[in-house]
Amino acid sequence: MAKIIKVGSQNITPNKIANPFRTSRNSTTNPFKYNNFEGNTLPFELAADVFKSSTQKTNKLRMIASSVTGSMTRMKSSITEPIVNFVKRVGGGISSAWTYAKETPISQVPGIRHMNEAVGSMNAKIVNKLSSMHEEMSSRVSSRMEAVSTSITEFGNDMRTQWNALIAKLPSRQHYTADTPVSELENAWKEIIALEGGIA
Amino acid sequence: MNKNVLEIIDALTAHQDTDSIRVLEEIGTNSPDNEVREYTSRALVRKNVHDSLKVVIINQGKGINDLSPAVAMSTINEILALKDKSEVVRILDDTINLHSDESVKENARSVKSLLALS
Repeated sequence: MAKIIKVGSQNITPNKIANPFRTSRNSTTNPFKYNNFEGNTLPFELAADVFKSSTQKTNKLRMIASSVTGSMTRMKSSITEPIVNFVKRVGGGISSAWTYAKETPISQVPGIRHMNEAVGSMNAKIVNKLSSMHEEMSSRVSSRMEAVSTSITEFGNDMRTQWNALIAKLPSRQHYTADTPVSELENAWKEIIALEGGIA
Repeated sequence: MNKNVLEIIDALTAHQDTDSIRVLEEIGTNSPDNEVREYTSRALVRKNVHDSLKVVIINQGKGINDLSPAVAMSTINEILALKDKSEVVRILDDTINLHSDESVKENARSVKSLLALS
């Protein structure tokens, strides 16, 4: 156990051997600081540490910002004039459009007129179709209703005839006494028997 | 039973026309309804005349000879309830002595016995 701990501690100990690929970014000495590049100076400040990341970022941003600003200045001169002309044209166009809109009925606007015509033709077709359907349905319904009415009328006539015949067959409710003729009593009794199916 | 029929039978019972007996015999005693036959037989007895009493005493299947016990017993009770029994006794005697059907004679004999006991 103690041997294992000893081996582990030896592995954790930092290596004392110098790394030949290691860069010293934290070094304050610039190896190119006093060198002459014969007019081909770097655009950066010579005193700046080119290996320092924070300084490098700042300088890049400044460079990008300056280039963008210059581009914007050039664009301003190239864009401003056309925009002014464009706005003038648009303004004139709007003015003329407003005048046109004021003086022209909405139905005469070409798009609206065409749409109105299309809708009108469509409406006419729909109305024609609906009217033809309505006429067809009306004729069918009227024919059916006439048939039903005829049937109901015939049925009612038959019922009325049968009812009247039944009422006529019924003997009138009258009191039979000894003064009633025998023949009349006999006929009344026979009618009752006929109505009751021969039971009475 | 139909009220009109009852009323017609009552009217025929009270009728003085002898043709009323014929109507009662032809229609009432031949009715398929026991109630009608019973009411008709009692009506014929209540008339208490020779022709009407003869119908319910000497005819096979009518009056006291009806196949329905209710009709026969009702007719016998109506005969027993008569105040004047002279005509019915005379017909019963003729039936017992002269009728050809033995069952009719036997029924007439039984009714006469009941009359003697009443």
